Amino acid sequence: MESFARPLCWNVPHWAEVTLYAMIPPVVILFLIGLWWRIRKWRLGMPEPGDGKILATVVTRLKGLLSFARLKEFVTTTFFQWRLSRDSFATLMHLAIFWGMAVLFVGTALATLDQDFTSLLFDFQFLQGNVYRLYELALDGFGVVLILGVTLAVYRRYAARPERLKAAVTGISKWDTFPFLAILLLIAVTGFVAEGLRIAEGFHLQQQLQASADRSVEEKVQLIEELGVERKALFVGEERHEAELRRMAEQTNVFPAAAWAPVGYGLGKVFAPLSLGSIRTLHQLTWWLHALLAFAFILCVPFTKAWHLVSSPINILLRPVRPVGRLSVAVEAGAAQIGDLTWRQLLQIDSCTWCGKCQEVCPSHATGFALSPRSVVQKLDRVMIRAAANGAGGSEEPDETHRIHGDVIAADELWACVTCRACEDVCPVCIEQPQLVIDMRRHLIDQGEIDEGLQDALMNVQRYGNSFGQSGRKRAQWTKSLETAVKDANKEEVEYLWFVGDYASYDQRAQEPTRATARVFQQLGLDFGILDAKEQNAGNDVRRVGEEGLFELVQEKNCKVLEKARFQKIVTTDPHTYNTLKNEYTGNGSESPMDGRPIVHYTELFDQLLREGRLRPARMLDYRVTYHDPCYLGRYNGIYDAPRNVLKALGVKLVEMPRNRQNSFCCGAGGGRIWMKDVPGIEERPAEVRIREALELPDVGYFVVACPKDLAMFQDAVKTVGAEDRLRVVDLGELVFEAIGIREEVKV
Amino acid sequence: MNIVVVVRQVPDLIEPLEIAESGTSLDFDEVSFLVNETDDHALEQALLLKEAGGGTVTVVALDCGEVDDTLYTAAAKGADKIVKIPVEDELRPPAPPAAAALFAEAVKGLQADLVLVGSSAHDELEGMLAPLLALKLQLPYVGVIRGVRAGDGSVTAFKEFPGAVMAKMNVKLPAVLGILAADQPPRYVPVSRIKAATKSTEFEEVEVAAAAAPGVTVQRMYHPAAGERAEMLEGSEEEVAAKIAEILVEKGILK
Ligand code: SF4
Ligand code: SF4
Repeated sequence: MESFARPLCWNVPHWAEVTLYAMIPPVVILFLIGLWWRIRKWRLGMPEPGDGKILATVVTRLKGLLSFARLKEFVTTTFFQWRLSRDSFATLMHLAIFWGMAVLFVGTALATLDQDFTSLLFDFQFLQGNVYRLYELALDGFGVVLILGVTLAVYRRYAARPERLKAAVTGISKWDTFPFLAILLLIAVTGFVAEGLRIAEGFHLQQQLQASADRSVEEKVQLIEELGVERKALFVGEERHEAELRRMAEQTNVFPAAAWAPVGYGLGKVFAPLSLGSIRTLHQLTWWLHALLAFAFILCVPFTKAWHLVSSPINILLRPVRPVGRLSVAVEAGAAQIGDLTWRQLLQIDSCTWCGKCQEVCPSHATGFALSPRSVVQKLDRVMIRAAANGAGGSEEPDETHRIHGDVIAADELWACVTCRACEDVCPVCIEQPQLVIDMRRHLIDQGEIDEGLQDALMNVQRYGNSFGQSGRKRAQWTKSLETAVKDANKEEVEYLWFVGDYASYDQRAQEPTRATARVFQQLGLDFGILDAKEQNAGNDVRRVGEEGLFELVQEKNCKVLEKARFQKIVTTDPHTYNTLKNEYTGNGSESPMDGRPIVHYTELFDQLLREGRLRPARMLDYRVTYHDPCYLGRYNGIYDAPRNVLKALGVKLVEMPRNRQNSFCCGAGGGRIWMKDVPGIEERPAEVRIREALELPDVGYFVVACPKDLAMFQDAVKTVGAEDRLRVVDLGELVFEAIGIREEVKV
Repeated sequence: MNIVVVVRQVPDLIEPLEIAESGTSLDFDEVSFLVNETDDHALEQALLLKEAGGGTVTVVALDCGEVDDTLYTAAAKGADKIVKIPVEDELRPPAPPAAAALFAEAVKGLQADLVLVGSSAHDELEGMLAPLLALKLQLPYVGVIRGVRAGDGSVTAFKEFPGAVMAKMNVKLPAVLGILAADQPPRYVPVSRIKAATKSTEFEEVEVAAAAAPGVTVQRMYHPAAGERAEMLEGSEEEVAAKIAEILVEKGILK
């Protein structure tokens, strides 16, 4: 085995090495101060419902990593950043920087281990021979990767500048990211230059050795020593040093691994013409620069955007275990000030990298509403910094600095959110923006600061159990014109209880599709019934406007009715109803009549009936259609394939819109926006933008929806954009109805 | 300032009203009640006055027509005291003169500086209650008010007249005002606050002697038959809409 090892502190004088070590404690102390500054911010928050305090949560989550799914999610998200995968440029850039940094970091750590641990204690270096060659190759390679990554980042941020990076972010300068990127770049560059200079020195020594090839090994060793190569590193034994010099003399090769560091080798060639003295001086200078930059980087971590290196993994690790469709309630009266958010929410806010991806996909932002999820997060961050500086929450009375409403985050911003979850789904660090918005809405509700339309809807739900302000007795009126009566599930036992929901029951536009679905069910001999007047608004959107008390009220009333009804499963056409029944009526600690009984969306039911051979289309529909994924079905509950399977079985040609599946663009109705008045100054509503997207598709004549609210929104939008003759908005149930041959052509 | 608000329940018109078998009144078993809209405005106005200049708000109501929910809501909104007046028939609200007599008795004991009552109710369009109450209390009265500002020993009230004319009046206290609309529409009160108020609010009961029978009796109550000159369009909403369109075309209003 060859006996060459990694050179330790080559050309670095003792005083420099000692100074470097002496600098470690202050850097560590500053880092810890930064860390405490961060943790102090989180400590302003409330306990997390269901999780409790910070430490307890960390322990349970670490235990959670024992489950494969959680572990896989954690690893793919943090180490491979799959949440960026929808943006290949970002993925490439980010993976390059991450892996570049990671390998260089591990490299440095190994070097430290090699020098300050094994070498010091056992007089042994593991970075030697082939191991060291590979080490050199890896570090050089990933150094290049890092430089490429940083270059891409600088290019994108300061040259290409996509919209999301352009827009001003509250309290953050455009150059905020620059020092961090610059330091990364310089670390890599100085690393290479120092390596190149060291190798260049090697070339000089080799030249001298070659020139005296006829001398004895001892003489050559003496020559090397005369040339100024000393035992510099503090911890290398005299013996090993001697042996190393002998090896150099014998082999006429100073750094046998140099060729394995191609970049350093190339730079060495470039620097070789310089005199030995200049090379040594320059090497010491770059060595220092490299070391200082590394320290600077460490201090960057708690004090700049680089913090997300730490906070993002923690945040991802501490993600709640509840389904995304279940809201949590820390303070029922909502977040009036920063300390009313939970510590985990504050941690989330703290990990925001202001990448603007959330803003880019936000339908409200895109259509000119006063909302940007990024600004919401960033404004909260500003408040958190000031509030933490002003003394942690807890017992102290919160003052002005803790305020998050009014001129900090205006009511308009909060009411503009359609709770579509596009932001949350795309956020690379798993921030739950809708939950933040809803927590703040709860406070607005508590203060009675709401829009007239919303007030009417809420009072209607409170009084009549539906947002339409119609009599409960009219809820089942849509069934009157059916040829076959629908069972009353309050009185008869049924297999499927159809929880119809407000829109499918009361909305004029939605009633016909509701009947179409009922006729399909009847035709297939499905044993189903409805709750008639006893059904109440399920409360999904009531909850999302922030009216928690009213949600509890309707939930309680519905649960009482569900308890008495005899059924095996629940089916609904309404994704909003589906979401709350599935995720919020169960699993909230107390016993629920839903427990153990499945709830399916009608698209899932159709899909299942198809697979069972019960649903057999009598004729193939030769339409070209596009399909709109409802937020509460797709992003909230991951149902993307069932409706597509059904469409396929009907024979239609499905042409996808550019924004499909989890990238679907909200119709603008969610989160109670359907009840609120139009905001002046909005040029085009989200639904209209969406219809235009569909109109771009070649020869697509049908816009298929699987949500009664979508039907209402898009039928209106088709009219307002004047495309009624080109695009028909149809419900999936109507197409199924047509295909099983009950009726000739779908009537719109 | 002690502000007293008189609140009434009225039948909810969301369901068609049924006539009782007797044929002389509504079938109150089938009626659901809700707060009279202008009374709700009167309460809002009282709360606005209190927020602006302090004072107390006392709500007075007859104990009939499912009034408790309304009263808890009033407490949740910020009413300081709730006074309930027991009546003979908990389902059937007394006629306005009798109601005015009951309210007057109860209000007398409350040292009110200002009494706010809704200008009218949909079961009492003539708007008698407020003036009758003022008469019984021997206080000045002005009705159809849209907004009140507190002053020193008096209030400024804004009254609306037809033909887009407004009057700003100075009303010396104590006085009774008939409110048509508050300075701002009644605010939403979240269910959780109502729930909390339901737990914490105690109603005060004030027994007052029943009023003398009003010299008017209802002989018959009925749904008016469709007039001969009117054509009633029947069918679903779509069918009705189609018929209306047809008629408009027929008359040449639409082409
Ligand atoms: S919230 Fe998430 S997506 Fe939005 S800017 Fe911050 S890190 Fe990016
Ligand atoms: S949930 Fe939708 S509307 Fe609300 S902030 Fe996020 S992207 Fe925007």
